[in-house]
Amino acid sequence: MRNSSSLRHIRVWSIVLALLVLTIMIVVPLIEIFIQSVYRDGELQLAAPFRTLADAELFKVLLGSIWLGICVIAGTTVLALPLAWVMVNTRLARWRWLDIVFLIPFMTPPYIGSMGWILFMQKNGYLEQLVPGLGSITPAFFTFGGMVMIMSLHLFPFLYLLLRGALERIGGSLEEAGAVLGAPFMYRFRRIIAPLLLSAYGMGAMLIFVKTIAEFGTPVTFGKRIGYEVMTSEIHKYISSWPIDFGKATSLASVLLTACLLIWYAQSVLSRRFTYSLVGGKGIRRSSLHSQGRWTWIYVIFVALLLLLSIGVPYFSIIAASTMKLRGVGLAWNNFTLDYYKELLTWGSTSMRALMNSVLLSLAASTIAVILGTWFAIVIGRSRTRIERTTDLFSLLPNTVPGIVMVVGLILLWNSPWMPIPLYNTYGMVILTYVILFLPYTVQYVKSAYGQIDPSLFQAGQVFGGKPQYVFRRVLLPLIVPGMLAGWMMTFTIASRELVGSLLILPPSVQTSATYIFAQFEQGQVSLGMAMAVVSVGLTTVMLVIIESLGSKRKWNA
Amino acid sequence: MVNLNTIKNGWTKGTALTLTLALGLTLTACGSNSNSTAKEASASTNNSVPSTQVADQKLVLYSAGPEGLANKIIEGFEAQTGIKVEMFQGTTGKILARMEAEKSNPVVDVVILASLPSAQGLKSDGLTLPYPDAKNADKLNPEWSDSEGNYFSTSASALGIAYNTKLVSTPPTSWEDLTKPEYKGQINIPDPTLSGSALDFITGYLSDKGESGWSLFEEFSKNDVAVAGANQEALDPVITGAKSMVAAAVDYMTYKAKAKGEPVDIVYPKEGTVISPRPAAIMKSTQHEENAKAFIDYLLSDEAQKLVSDAALLPGRTDIKAENRANLDEIPLLKADWSWMNEHGTEVTDKFTKLFK
Repeated sequence: MRNSSSLRHIRVWSIVLALLVLTIMIVVPLIEIFIQSVYRDGELQLAAPFRTLADAELFKVLLGSIWLGICVIAGTTVLALPLAWVMVNTRLARWRWLDIVFLIPFMTPPYIGSMGWILFMQKNGYLEQLVPGLGSITPAFFTFGGMVMIMSLHLFPFLYLLLRGALERIGGSLEEAGAVLGAPFMYRFRRIIAPLLLSAYGMGAMLIFVKTIAEFGTPVTFGKRIGYEVMTSEIHKYISSWPIDFGKATSLASVLLTACLLIWYAQSVLSRRFTYSLVGGKGIRRSSLHSQGRWTWIYVIFVALLLLLSIGVPYFSIIAASTMKLRGVGLAWNNFTLDYYKELLTWGSTSMRALMNSVLLSLAASTIAVILGTWFAIVIGRSRTRIERTTDLFSLLPNTVPGIVMVVGLILLWNSPWMPIPLYNTYGMVILTYVILFLPYTVQYVKSAYGQIDPSLFQAGQVFGGKPQYVFRRVLLPLIVPGMLAGWMMTFTIASRELVGSLLILPPSVQTSATYIFAQFEQGQVSLGMAMAVVSVGLTTVMLVIIESLGSKRKWNA
Repeated sequence: MVNLNTIKNGWTKGTALTLTLALGLTLTACGSNSNSTAKEASASTNNSVPSTQVADQKLVLYSAGPEGLANKIIEGFEAQTGIKVEMFQGTTGKILARMEAEKSNPVVDVVILASLPSAQGLKSDGLTLPYPDAKNADKLNPEWSDSEGNYFSTSASALGIAYNTKLVSTPPTSWEDLTKPEYKGQINIPDPTLSGSALDFITGYLSDKGESGWSLFEEFSKNDVAVAGANQEALDPVITGAKSMVAAAVDYMTYKAKAKGEPVDIVYPKEGTVISPRPAAIMKSTQHEENAKAFIDYLLSDEAQKLVSDAALLPGRTDIKAENRANLDEIPLLKADWSWMNEHGTEVTDKFTKLFK
C-alpha cells in the first residue's frame, strides 16, 4: 500500500510538471499576444480588441471564415466518410499502399496545391491547352465553391485517417451481431456504427474546422484571387505589410481563438458523452459483411476519381510547371526540360542545403513532439478531472491558434530583452516552434488510441502480477505505438513543409524547402520552386513508405 | 484493491524524466552552435580590415529585391573584406514586419528596402544610424538619398506597363489606355500593401495630379483591374497568358523575364511614371557598426554599381550608366513629391484598398 501512495504522488507531480511545461511553451507566448492586443501605443486600452471587432468590415471577415469552415467540414465529410468505410470494409482494404497515397494531398503544401489548381484552371491554363472546348467552364471554378473544393481535397486525408482508425477499432463483431439479429444495413449504420463513430468524427470535424479557419496558404493564393477574405489573411496583412499593426492582428487573433475554444468545448462534451471502450482483450476481426464482389467496381471508381482530383490535377500542374523551359509557351514537347531539377539537386547548392535543413529540423522536431505528446496524452487520460482537462486544452491550443499568431507570440517571448536563454535566431528556436505547432497531432492520435483501451486490460496485467513498468511496456505501449507512429509521421510531414513559422523565425541565411519555394515564387522562378515542391513531397512520401513497410513487417512477426 | 491509477503512475514518471532530459539537451545544443560562425569568419580575415574588428567579423543584412543581385553583392563584399554576411531575403513588408517583431532585441545591421518612404519612416522614427562620410555618396542621385546620410539609394527601378506580347499587339502608350473596355478584366496591379513600388506609383501619381488623380484609379476599378499580390505575383499571370498586362510593373523583373525568352515587354507611359529607389540604411541598434559602414561603402563602389546595372536595375550613382535597359534620362517622369508621398502613404493605401474591394 505504501508503494501505491508514492505512485499517486508521482502521478500528481507528473501532471503538474506537464502543465508547467505547456504553460511555458504555449500559454505564455499567447499571453504575450494578449498583452500586445490591449497595450496600444504604450498604454493599457482594455477596449481596444472590441473596438477592432466593432468594425463592420472585420465582422464580415469573421463570418466569412466561419462559413468557409462549415462548408469545408461538409466537403471533407463527403470525401472521407465513404472512403474510410471502403478502406475498412471492402476488398480495397487489402491495398494498404493506398493509405500512403491518400496522405499525398495532405503533404502537399496548401499554397502549392492551390497554385497547381490555379495554373490548371485559369485563362490559357493547362486545362484550356489540353481541351480547348472546356475554356468556358473555368470561370465557374474561380468562386467560393472552388475554394471549398480545394481546401476539402487538401484536408480530407486527415479526417479519413481518424475515421478509418475508429472504424477499425469498432471491428466487425458488433456489426455482425446486429446483422445476425436481422438489422438491415442502414439500421446497423444508424444504431451501431454512427454512435460509435461520433466521437472520432466530432474530433475530426472540429480539427478540420479549426484547420480551415487557421489556414493561410489557400486564402492567400486562391482566396485573394476571388476576393474572399478570411481572418488569417487579414491577420497576415496586419503582421506583414506596412504599417505593421500587431494590436489589430492580435485582437483578431483573440477573436479567432475564442471561436475555436467554444467549438473545442462543444466537442469535448460530445466526446465525453459518446466515448466507448472498444479495444477489449479479444482482438479485432474484420467484418465479413461487405465484401460482395459485384460492388467493387463502384468503390474503385470512387477511389480513382478522388485520386484524380486530389493528386492528379494539382500534380499535373506542378510537374508541368517544373519542367517548362518557357512558361509563356505552355504545354509543348519542345518546351520540356529537366534543367531545374539538375540545378536543384546540385550538391552544396542553396536548394540542397534548404532541403537538408528541412529534413533534419523536422526529424528533430517530430521526435521531440512525439515524446512530449505521448506524455501529455497519457497525463490527460480520459480528461475526467479539471486539471486533466486544462492540460488537454493547453496541449491543443496550437491547433486552435493560427500558426502565424502562435509564431508571433513565440518571437515576442523568446526575443524579449529579459529572456536568459539565447534561443532566438538559432536552429533550436525553429525546432521549438515546430514542436509547439504540431504537438496536438501526437496528443490527438495517442489520446484517441488510449481513450478506447478498456481498463480491464491493465487490471488483467495487474492480476497476473505485472509490475507497473511491465504493464506499461507489454500492455499499454503496444496499443498506443500505432498512435505514436501516426503522430510522428504527421509531424514530420507537416514540419518539413511548414511555411508561415519558418518565414518569420528562421535565422538569417538559413532556408528550408518551403521558404525556398516561396522565395522562388517571389523571385519569378516558379519552375524552380515547383521542382523543389516535387522533390520535397517525393522525399517525404518515400520516408513514409519505408516506415509503413517496417510497420507492417512488425505486424507479421507478432 | 489496487486501482488503475497506480499502474498509470509508474510509467508517467519514466516519460517525464526522458522528456526533461530531451528538452535540456536540445537547449544546450542550440546555445552552443551560434558561436561557430564568428570563429569561421575571423579565420578568413584578410588585411584590408581593421584588426579591432577581428572578434566579430559578421554582418546581418535584411534585403528586399532580387536575390541573385543580393547574393552577388554579398559574394563581392565577403571576398573584399572577409566579413561574413548573414542575409534574410523578403519583400519590404516582410522585412519591416520582422524588424517590428524583433524590436526589443534587434539583430539586423543593414537593411535594403524597395521603397523610399519606408526608409524615410525609419529615419523619422529615429531608427537609422547616419553615415555622412560614406564614400561616393556625393555621386548618388540627391533626390533619392538622405542629405544627412541616414539612407542611400544604391539602385532604383522604374515602373511601367508590362504586357504579354502574344496577347497585346499594339502596346498602350498612356495610363489612360488601361481604362479602355477592350482590356476589361485583363489587367493586374500589384497590391500597394505588399509592394512598396506599387505604393510609390499610386502616391507619386496622386502627388502630381492632385485629388483629381483618383479618377484614374476609379476607372481602373470599373475596368475590373485586379489587385494581385506583390510584384512577381502580379507579373506571373501575364507571362503565362492568364492576364494581358500589369499596371505599375517593376521594370527589372520584366527585363529579366524578357531576357529569358518569355513573351513579355514593358513600356513607360508618355505622361510620365515614378522611379522607385531602393534605399539601404544602417540601423542605430547595429552591433557591427564598422562592418555596416564598410558594406555601405561597398554598395556605393564601382564594382557593386556595375552589378546593379547588370541586374537590369538603375544604378544609384548618376555617373554610372545602365546597360540593356532604358536609362534614367530616357524615362518620362511625373513630378513626384516624396515628402507628400511619405506623409500620405497610409491614407492612400486605405482609400485604394476600399476602392478595389
